[in-house]
Order: sequence, then structure tokens, then C-alpha cells
Amino acid sequence: MIEVEHLSKTYGSTTAIQDITFEARPGEILGFLGPNGAGKTTTMRILAGYLPASEGTARVAGYDVHSDSMAVRQRIGYLPESPPLYPEMTVQGFLTFVAKIKGVSSELRQRRADIAMDHCGLLDKRKVLIRKLSKGYRQRVGIAQAIIHDPPVIILDEPTVGLDPRQINEVRQLIKGLAGSHTIILSTHILPEVSMTCDRVTIINRGQVVATDTPDNLTTRLWGESAYELEIKGDVDTAQHLLNGLAAVRQVTLLGPEHLPQHHHRLRVSAEADRALGGAIATALVSAGLELHELRRQQATLEDVFLNLTTTETLTSTSTEPPIAEASIETQEA
Amino acid sequence: MTLILKNILAIYQRELQSYFASPLPYVIAAVFWLLGGFFLVAILLGPQGILAQAAMADQAVQMGMPPSPPFDVAYEFNKAYVGLLGSLSMFVLPMLSMGLYADERKQGTLELLATSPVTNWAVALGKLMAVVSFYIAMVLPLMVCQAVALDAATPPTGSGVFLLSHLGLVLMAASVLALGMFISSLTESTVLAAIMTFALILMLWLVDAIAQGLPGVLGQAIAHLSLLKHFTDFTEGIFDTGGLVLFLSFIVLGLYLTAQSIETLRFQRS
Repeated sequence: MIEVEHLSKTYGSTTAIQDITFEARPGEILGFLGPNGAGKTTTMRILAGYLPASEGTARVAGYDVHSDSMAVRQRIGYLPESPPLYPEMTVQGFLTFVAKIKGVSSELRQRRADIAMDHCGLLDKRKVLIRKLSKGYRQRVGIAQAIIHDPPVIILDEPTVGLDPRQINEVRQLIKGLAGSHTIILSTHILPEVSMTCDRVTIINRGQVVATDTPDNLTTRLWGESAYELEIKGDVDTAQHLLNGLAAVRQVTLLGPEHLPQHHHRLRVSAEADRALGGAIATALVSAGLELHELRRQQATLEDVFLNLTTTETLTSTSTEPPIAEASIETQEA
Repeated sequence: MTLILKNILAIYQRELQSYFASPLPYVIAAVFWLLGGFFLVAILLGPQGILAQAAMADQAVQMGMPPSPPFDVAYEFNKAYVGLLGSLSMFVLPMLSMGLYADERKQGTLELLATSPVTNWAVALGKLMAVVSFYIAMVLPLMVCQAVALDAATPPTGSGVFLLSHLGLVLMAASVLALGMFISSLTESTVLAAIMTFALILMLWLVDAIAQGLPGVLGQAIAHLSLLKHFTDFTEGIFDTGGLVLFLSFIVLGLYLTAQSIETLRFQRS
């Protein structure tokens, strides 16, 4: 639905994005993740036909964004970084205006405006001047204008900025609800947003794509192992011996005894990736007469992956190296 | 085609609506009407006004002086007053055109317009039509006042010169507004747009002055390109196709430059 090939954009001597390639398949939500200044907005603008690319091509629904600009414009809904609103208009007046210039027929206009307002929770604000709305509501009006003409492709540049947690959740639900019948690409620098809403993620850093995959694949691929943390009561040597004997276990380490009651020990078991060892660990320990107080599976968060990809330049999208320890420490501090 | 017309209409309506929502147009119109009304009285009834001049000419004839060339009060009044409205407009027009695109840039709504299936031409045309409509709405009440005064003239005057001079006024205003719209499309700052448009108007005045000062073919050539000269022709009741073509050319030029600037200049990093 969205195909981006070798896209580059330079402003004078500054390179905003360089040789970006990715695609969004029909009906999916593609997250476009990157730190501030990575080139997210530039890419979004190129896709929306607002900026021309310096090199490369971008196609939306089969139409080139530059040479078939009008065809593309008819098929996209676009929420720019700052929502494009006329402060002196009412919510309803504004949405009707947008429906008009997006080519919604006059019979359908009112209904589409109602649907969009309903989706975005704006029905009780329909007669309010946009000037008087709070930032969160303005953002919602911005989203409403992007979906008012029911476009097959929706481009959202940081859609949850400025919203409170409840609204963020609502907007995420809204975006999820639109998937399937719409192809959505959304940019963000908020990691949980991606893992919660997106089917696939493209991570960009300094204008280049560093990885594209599903959030789950990204985390497992880059973590490279699975790990468990457990708290036991009993003889720690027996436990270590037992655990080392399990298949696929690579290493068992004894963690510091801080904040633990007497005779309690904390262990970390690392194992090969994609191996569910929880059951085996529990059975082995309990059948040996040890008390198991806690067993927790550790997973790399997308945050680890993101920090990895955007702070170390040696890692590329094809890399399968385990992450560098510093990155995960940074994560915990953050 | 109908889609384009619909788009133009949508832009036109939205733009007109925005005039009612902001205090600035009200203030501009109020000042324009105040000054327009004041000058109407001053030109007609003031100590140096048209009626005083006519009375002096009559007196001179009665005292046995050789009669001066015939003096048509209604015609002279119309010419002087519409000419004055033209000058007054020069101060008002930059304020009308300054926000046309600068505000869109500032609000980020240009990004909406530029990514909607609307051509830049349609946007520019809708905006220009709206601002010209607003200008006409500003001139109309003054036209009514003027018509009341002209109605008292004996012998009664035809409405031809009156209407033609106002057509000239609107055409000149539309030309200036079209160029002002282009200037507005270049910047995010309304103040800068207003100042630049005013500078452009000063240049138009300068061109007119140079045309009058330069002798021979060159002076004539420049005079042909002067908006003010053609406007003066209209106020004198001279309908010149050349003038009409010139005004329309300026309007089309303004529209073209605006559409082009939106097409190319939005590519700057903003």
C-alpha cells in the first residue's frame, strides 16, 4: 500500500533522510520509530506529497507521490506534526470544510463529519471554536480531519502528542479500530505506543532505516537469549547444579542477596532464545524439595532494542549479536 | 471541472467566514469608512471643495472675467473622490492581503491545503475572490453615500462614469491584492507581508511618477504598465481595453506567482 524505495532528502548540505526503504502492507499499522530529529517528519511529509524527495521514489496505493500527486492526495488522510486547524472555526465547521476540500460529496459530508467526531470523542465539542479547545482536543480534531474522508491510507505524525494517558489510550484504540480497512503509518518516539498499536515497526536513526520487523521479532532477535529470574529458599548449590543440568540452559548466576529474607537466594538463568523453560525450572526445583518463591521470565523490551539500534552504530538490521550490556543498563536507569 | 469550482467555492466561503471571526477586518473597515466619509464631505463641501470651486468660478463670470472652461461639478467630484478612495485603499490593501497565506503558514494549515486534492490555483483564486469581495463590501457603503450626493446634481448625471470609475477602483484593488497575496505566500510573518506589500505599492507610485516625468516613447511605455495611470483613466470615465487587460494581467500574474510559490517554496525547511 505504501512503498518507499531508496528515499533521500537533503536540505542544502544537511541530509535529513538517506536511502530509506520500507513498505506498509494493506491493512496493517506500521510504526515509524526514531529519536527526535531522525527524519520521521520529513518522511511523513514526503509520503503526504508535501515535500518532494531529493532521490528515490515513494508510492501510495500504487501512485507515485510526486508525479501522481493528486491521485495520492485523494487517497490519504494526513495528520501533520502540528495539527492544521483554523482557530476561528468551530469543530464541526472545520471538519465540514475539510470534507469539502477532500472531495466528500455534499450528501455524505454531514454523516462523515459525525462519524469522525464520534470516533474522536468530539461530539460534545462540535459547536466549540477550535481556539478554545485544549491541546488534547485539538489533537483529536487533527485526527478527525485525517479520517473524515475515509481514506485507504492514513499518515499520522506523532498522533498522541499532548494527550493525557486516558486520551492516549483512546486514540490508540481508535487507531487499532481503523486498521484492517485502512493502512496506517504512524510516527512516534514513544516506545510503548509501537508495541501496543503497531503490527510492524521501522526504526530509523539519523535518517537511515536500522531495522524493520514486528515488535516481537525485533525484541527476540536482538536479545538473542531468553532469561529467567528466580527466588528460592534452600540450598543454593543444589539449585545451581539442578538448573545447570537442564537442557538449553547456558548459564546460571547467583545474584546479590539484597533485600532478601534469610536463606533466600536469587538466581538468574539464561538460556537459548525461544525456549520456554519455566515449567522445567519449576519442576526441577520443587521436586528437589526447594521452595520456589518467584519465577519471572525476563524479556527484552522494545526499549532495549531501540536504544541498541540508535545508540550503537555497529549494529545493523541483520545483526544477531546479543545486545551490549550498557544498553540494558541505560534502560533500567531510564 | 465542477470539482474545481466546488473547491474554489469551499476556500472562498471559509476565507469570507474568517473575516467575521477576527476583529482586524472590522477595524480596517471602520477606519476606511470613517476616512472615506470624512473625505466625502471635505471634497464636496469643504472650503477648498468642489462646490466652493464652482461657486468661485460662477462669481468670476459674474464679475465680468472671461469664462473659464466649463466645469462639470458632478464629474469633477466623482473623479476626485474615487481617486481619493484609490489612494486610501493603498494603505488598506496591504492589511487585507497580508494574512492570506502568512496565517496559513503560521497555523500549519498550508500543510492541510497542500496535501488535499485541491490545486494551488484553486486555493489562490478562492482566496483572492474572498478578499476582493470583502473590499467591495467595504467600498459599497461609500458608493451609496456618493450616489446620494450625485443624485442631487442638476443637470442629472448618467451613472456610466460613476460605475466605470468604481470598476476601475475594484480592478486596481484586485491587482494589488493579487500581488499582495503572492508576497504573503512568501513569508510566515503577516507584518513582513504588509510592509513588503506597501513597499510594492510605493514602487507602483514611483513607476507612475517616472512615467509622467520621462519624455517620449520610454515614458509612454512605462505609463502603459502603470496601474495608477490606468486607474486614473477609469476615474475620468475613459474605458480603455488596454487598461482592463493590464489589470487582468496583474491579477493573473499574482495568482500564477502565488501558485508557483506554494508549489516550490513550501519545500524549504520550515
